[in-house]
Amino acid sequence: QALPSRAGPSSILVSPRQKGNPILANIRSMPWEYSDIPADYVLGATTCALFLSLKYHRLHPEYIYSRIRALQGKYNLRILLTMVDIQNHEESLRELSKTSLINNVTIILTWSAAEAGRYLELYKSYEHAAPTSIRAQGATSLSDKLVEFITVPRSINKTDAVGLVSNFGSLRTAVNARPEEIALIAGWGEKKVQRWCQAVRQPFRVKK
Amino acid sequence: MSAPDDPITPAEPPVRLSLPLEYQQDVFHELREEDALLVLARGLGLLRLVTNLLHSYDAAGNNLILLVGADDRENGWIGEALAEQAAVSGSSKCRGLKLVNTDLMSVGTREKLYTGGGIFSITSRILIVDFLSTLLDASKVTGMIVLHSERLGATSQEAFIVRMYRQKNKAGFLKAFADQPEPFTSGFQPLTNIMRNLFLRKPILYPRFHVTVAKSLEGKRKAEVIELEVPMTDAMRDIQNGVLECVEVSIAELRKGNTGLEMEDWTLDSALHRSFDTIVRRQLDPVWHRTSFRTKQIVRDLSLLRTILHSLLTFDAVSFNKYLDTVLAASAPPPGSTRQSQSPWLFLDAAHTLFDTAKRRVYTGKITEEPVARDKDGLNPVLESMPKWDLLAEILEEVERDLYLNPQPQDESNGSILIMCGDQGTCRQLREFLQTMHVDDDEVQDPDDDGVPDELREKKPSAKFMMRRKLRNYLQWKRDFARVSSNLFAENQKAINGTTSHGGGQASRGRAPPNKRRRMRGGGNMNGAQRAANGSVHVAGDKDAHIQALMQELAPAETEDTAATKAIDIGADPLDNMEDYYELYSMTDLILIHPYDGDMDDHLLEEVKPRYVIMYEPDAAFIRRIEVYRSSHGSRQVRVYFMYYGGSVEEQRYLSAVRREKDAFTKLIRERGNMALTFGHEAANLDPQESFLRTVNTRIAGGGRLAATAEPPRVVVDVREFRSSLPSLLHGRNMVVIPCQLTVGDYIVTPEIAVERKSIKDLISSFSDGRLYNQAETMLQHYKSPMLLIEFDAQKAFTLEPFADLSSMIGTSSMVGSDLQSKLVLLCLAFPKLRIIWSSSPYQTAEIFEELKKKQDEPDPIRAVQIGLESGEDPEGRTFNQTPQDMLRAVPGVTSKALQRLILKYENVLEVANAGDDELSALVGRENGRQIRGFFDRSVWDDGSGE
Repeated sequence: QALPSRAGPSSILVSPRQKGNPILANIRSMPWEYSDIPADYVLGATTCALFLSLKYHRLHPEYIYSRIRALQGKYNLRILLTMVDIQNHEESLRELSKTSLINNVTIILTWSAAEAGRYLELYKSYEHAAPTSIRAQGATSLSDKLVEFITVPRSINKTDAVGLVSNFGSLRTAVNARPEEIALIAGWGEKKVQRWCQAVRQPFRVKK
Repeated sequence: MSAPDDPITPAEPPVRLSLPLEYQQDVFHELREEDALLVLARGLGLLRLVTNLLHSYDAAGNNLILLVGADDRENGWIGEALAEQAAVSGSSKCRGLKLVNTDLMSVGTREKLYTGGGIFSITSRILIVDFLSTLLDASKVTGMIVLHSERLGATSQEAFIVRMYRQKNKAGFLKAFADQPEPFTSGFQPLTNIMRNLFLRKPILYPRFHVTVAKSLEGKRKAEVIELEVPMTDAMRDIQNGVLECVEVSIAELRKGNTGLEMEDWTLDSALHRSFDTIVRRQLDPVWHRTSFRTKQIVRDLSLLRTILHSLLTFDAVSFNKYLDTVLAASAPPPGSTRQSQSPWLFLDAAHTLFDTAKRRVYTGKITEEPVARDKDGLNPVLESMPKWDLLAEILEEVERDLYLNPQPQDESNGSILIMCGDQGTCRQLREFLQTMHVDDDEVQDPDDDGVPDELREKKPSAKFMMRRKLRNYLQWKRDFARVSSNLFAENQKAINGTTSHGGGQASRGRAPPNKRRRMRGGGNMNGAQRAANGSVHVAGDKDAHIQALMQELAPAETEDTAATKAIDIGADPLDNMEDYYELYSMTDLILIHPYDGDMDDHLLEEVKPRYVIMYEPDAAFIRRIEVYRSSHGSRQVRVYFMYYGGSVEEQRYLSAVRREKDAFTKLIRERGNMALTFGHEAANLDPQESFLRTVNTRIAGGGRLAATAEPPRVVVDVREFRSSLPSLLHGRNMVVIPCQLTVGDYIVTPEIAVERKSIKDLISSFSDGRLYNQAETMLQHYKSPMLLIEFDAQKAFTLEPFADLSSMIGTSSMVGSDLQSKLVLLCLAFPKLRIIWSSSPYQTAEIFEELKKKQDEPDPIRAVQIGLESGEDPEGRTFNQTPQDMLRAVPGVTSKALQRLILKYENVLEVANAGDDELSALVGRENGRQIRGFFDRSVWDDGSGE
């Protein structure tokens, strides 16, 4: 358990087993160093990752189980970084899904060495990050928000959104507008008008 | 209640059918006899057949018939027609159509309705749930009628319904209908596949060229059709050529960027059809992650260009120009972007011609009718009218003469004139034109033009009045719009205007888009400035001052006119004073303007009984409707005028639509000839022994217990999930699907495993609004093994969004945290216990679920429903509509907590938008309330912060 404290907290620890893995060439924005660890990569105090190529998994299906066993339930978050490098991935992935449940590993699929490298960097760099960016909506400009609001109902696009606000002035008038008024705007066909009016007048709650 | 299996016996009251034509009766009897899929050519009265069929069952009484796949209008049509026929037949057993189409109807009401029997039109999602929860017993259903079977895919809801129905009920009838042959021709053996999904064996095909159809429609009572080819104006032709060139270049670009794909279909001709998007998307989908940003943009551009092309022929010159302005503003480049990221067609000379010509149709200095005095401004209204308008006026005149000279002998049809056009917008335009065409504003405008006597001039209808009004509105709008776009796209504007700014702020605000574009084209700075110095017409025309001048020049005409013709009240809203002017017109001398409306047109013809029909735009289906109408009523004369722009896209599109339908039918007939007719669905049930052994745990090591039951595996599924195809596939794999109102999770696989399903699109959106975080949080609270299922589309690539696009960004602003990968990482770090399932398709998901369920206990639906509910809360009351909620989420200031409060307090988006400041502040807090209020109230016309 003393592993994380021994190394500097700022670098990714890499097992010597991974020597020659093209992923290593793709870890660019984070420092990494070899270290004697049971996992393939250690990405934080409680986070580690095992690397698995599906091609290899198909030839040696037992390999990954022995590796997971070697972790001895140590890390809190155990990533199984899986490279999808075969065409018929369905069966292997089905088996791994079941395994992830039983053995407490989280599967992350990657399709290229570059992506895998990026994942490792991200795990390390977000080690202490608060999950704010996925907790609430990101801030965008007002015009984007306007367009986003208007384009929620299906089939209404950006051009329509601009047409709508520019004709009505403010969103409030646009929301209150009657279908006949909206239909006068160029580009707003019957369907769109109907969708829009329905969306703003549809009750939030479906009463039983 | 029992289902009568015997067909109507002669002893029962006679069923009156309303099928006068031979082919209609043929089809009816064929359908009555055995289960089949009917593919009928458009316009041959599919709904009429459906209602007659339904009526024949309805009159028999004592039944339970389900109508699947009908949309709202069809429901209305069928309901009305059924009631009418019941009245005509005088059958006492008819009960008409009952609708079950909203969640508003409670479970109890539905149950009562079902036991009562009758004909039901049920929304697919509700029907699935009712079938699964055995609220509606499939074995008690007399029969089922499926509309729109061309949309039926292997994983669609309707296929699921049919499968459940057939599993329990082998005796009931099943008839399927389709009136679009085209979808049956794509893919491998499409007809066979759809037939298999429907468990049907016999297709009935009735194209227009079927012998009986032809005989029925081409007898003595043929409708009189006059074809009129209208030439386009030069300006219109220029614009059309310009757009076509843009389309062509875009397609070439598309071909260049995507070698290695089959691109036979990527031609100019097919690009004019709506289905082109689907074709391109289908080909690109498997490699969508690898396609460049540019390709995606071109695909989008193509559909935009097609809309422009359509608007060219339908909008008047002013509206068209206005639309183009909007297009330009919306496709203005995002701030800080390079030339690379803009739509390529905007850089073409053709695009320049397009925008230029469009403007020149509205106002210019070159072509004027009054060459006096105004040339020095270099700005004159041109207001080109649509050639079809003049022709329409001519036709109406001819009809009038015709009516006057030879009043029709005794005839059942009214003297009314029916004008059919493409959509409501065109309708409105024509109405306005017809109302104002005789309004004469020439006296005011050109008193010096005295070559023509007054009476004569008055005779000649013109669109001048209308166009002037439109121009005035346009100029007003334009001033506002300049401000809007500077408000909305302030940064862009600055970026564009940065180098060349014209003096005062006035000019920069009133700048018209065509100018903007010229500047965008890069390297043209010198050029643009020079033109301005020369006093070039276009630049001059864009100045606010000149627009003011034009406005003033136009204004007096307006006041005079309104004074003179007060009666003609055509404001923005013609329905304004509905109550005041409401009266019944006699049907004999009316002009009716209607948009094409699918099968509803049949009704229209029957009701109006027009003697003259003017088809403002070509529509193959409507011609057939008239043929059917004319042949059905021997004593009704009808003359049809049919107009189209010669050499236009409209003509091309019409011709190729007719050709495509014919080809599709030919292909279908060939496939029917070669179809193998052996279907084996019956043996789909699992061997009972196998299902018993499935649960036996063979490894009974230390303390393991032997749990072996023949209980079928089950999965609890949230009712909202029935829009996806996964429940259908789970059911197909012999799992029992239990629909429930779930608060936590989408699928409960075992008592410990809850699964939240996300498609890639959902995943992105639920990351960005924080929904997924909350969902993961609550799942973790209640389940031991929560899982996030990331489900890819079966046809699409099994990859996350292109990683290559990001590599450039990493260098510059590292760790932006905006891409999907980094959000996934954050999610994993926040919830180390959350497992992720990656599935390449719903098929695979079903297999994974099966794997997960092995040797596990079955979930308890009652417990699943209660989890996550606060005590005493009624699960039934917690269903929400998704769309309005998603809209609210986009509003700044609406946090997830605020959202909850808002949707509980207010009824809909409209109420939130109108809510008072204090009210909102009290509900969601001062700051949030202010933000919400501001969002709705902010006027884009004001000079806001953008300037």
